[in-house]
Amino acid sequence: MIRTLVLSALVATLAITSVSATEDMSKWLRPSEVPQPKNNKLTPERIELGKLLYFDTRLSSSGEVSCATCHHPKRGWTDEKPTAKAVGVEGRVGPRNSPVVLNTAYQNRQFWDGRVRTLEQQALGPIEADVEMNMPLDVLLPKLRNIKGYVDLFEKAYPGEGITEKTLAKAIASFERTVVSTESPFDKYAKGDKHAISDKAKEGFDLFTGKAGCVNCHDGFNFTDGSFHNIGLYDGELQGKELGRYLVKMRAAWYGVMKTPTLRDVAKSFPYFHDGSVKTLEEATAICAGGGRFEHNVKNKSLSIVDRHLTKEEIDKVVAFMHTLTGPDMDLTIPTKFPQ
Amino acid sequence: MKKILLVAVLAASTLFSADHVIDQKGKTFIPHEITVAVGDTLIFKNSDPFAHNAYTDDEANEFDIGMQSPGTNASVTVKSAGTFSVECAIHPNMLLEVTAK
Ligand SMILES: [Cu+2]
Repeated sequence: MIRTLVLSALVATLAITSVSATEDMSKWLRPSEVPQPKNNKLTPERIELGKLLYFDTRLSSSGEVSCATCHHPKRGWTDEKPTAKAVGVEGRVGPRNSPVVLNTAYQNRQFWDGRVRTLEQQALGPIEADVEMNMPLDVLLPKLRNIKGYVDLFEKAYPGEGITEKTLAKAIASFERTVVSTESPFDKYAKGDKHAISDKAKEGFDLFTGKAGCVNCHDGFNFTDGSFHNIGLYDGELQGKELGRYLVKMRAAWYGVMKTPTLRDVAKSFPYFHDGSVKTLEEATAICAGGGRFEHNVKNKSLSIVDRHLTKEEIDKVVAFMHTLTGPDMDLTIPTKFPQ
Repeated sequence: MKKILLVAVLAASTLFSADHVIDQKGKTFIPHEITVAVGDTLIFKNSDPFAHNAYTDDEANEFDIGMQSPGTNASVTVKSAGTFSVECAIHPNMLLEVTAK
């Protein structure tokens, strides 16, 4: 018994040993290329067409909602709306916090519950969803085919393929693939500029990769490893959309789990978590590194969500570090004129 | 009698089947491709400081290890011939391809 206790104490000590920021930083550097599927390589024509579609409110049944309404470049590629208040057509409310579009090109699963793999598969979901754009494709496709400007642009982007479910999805996905992080102070620091971030943020980074345990999930250049966790926001039996990936398949490990979000530009994408129930990064950090909002009676809580005993000062340092992941807004002209 | 039978079964299985250790380290399966014989055992070892959950939905070889704690091993026996992929239910980027002959 005593031996077991000593052993677990040793293991615990090893687990909280901090990784020094002076070590190899290569895994934090932004890749120079975005992954592209073989059947939808990026071209200027595809990106431009996708951008127009992304901002065009005619893609919704009310004519008032576009992709950008809930995933806006000036609002961290989300909508600043709390919790389930992503307002779609006629003020209908989506069941989850709008996820950021930033760096989704690097994700192998899309949506909070990871129900599809590619951006092409993702793009059409919100257009058809009644709480979002509420536009059935059998109405939208003929409508687009009647807009001469779009007929020409689709022909340039996807010669001979016409305006179909496939080309519509491919065009929007092409634009979304260009939505990637710009160079943040942390990137400059990771590349060797030791003065690019404050000492407080450096200490925050050491906590992030060490004692606070954030790196267990928020790993790699995009500060997510694409993993799925139940972080203990709710206790007891979960209902509806709260079931997360369990709705995709009733696997025990998927009960109440959601995808780990990126932390790039995270200061811009408040409120936080899949239900937007948390307003500040301080509060979000306190929950994740404090064993969850509910410590007990959480079914399938992630083993990584344990109380790391952070002080208020330490939480502030981690948050100071997260602020260094904010880059300047990407170079983007938001279209004001649309094809006629 | 039961004990003798058990020993005999164990002896037979060690004679005719092999164990293959698959390490789960740095959120990857090591190795990430393996060829085994039907009846062999895959031993999933978790060397990471967090949980993994290897599973496959392959019909003939279906298994789900469940949430596997750091520092533990879990075993499954390969039931049928064929090629199938094993994924981690927590980390979908972790992939292992098993070819069973
Ligand atoms: Cu895993």
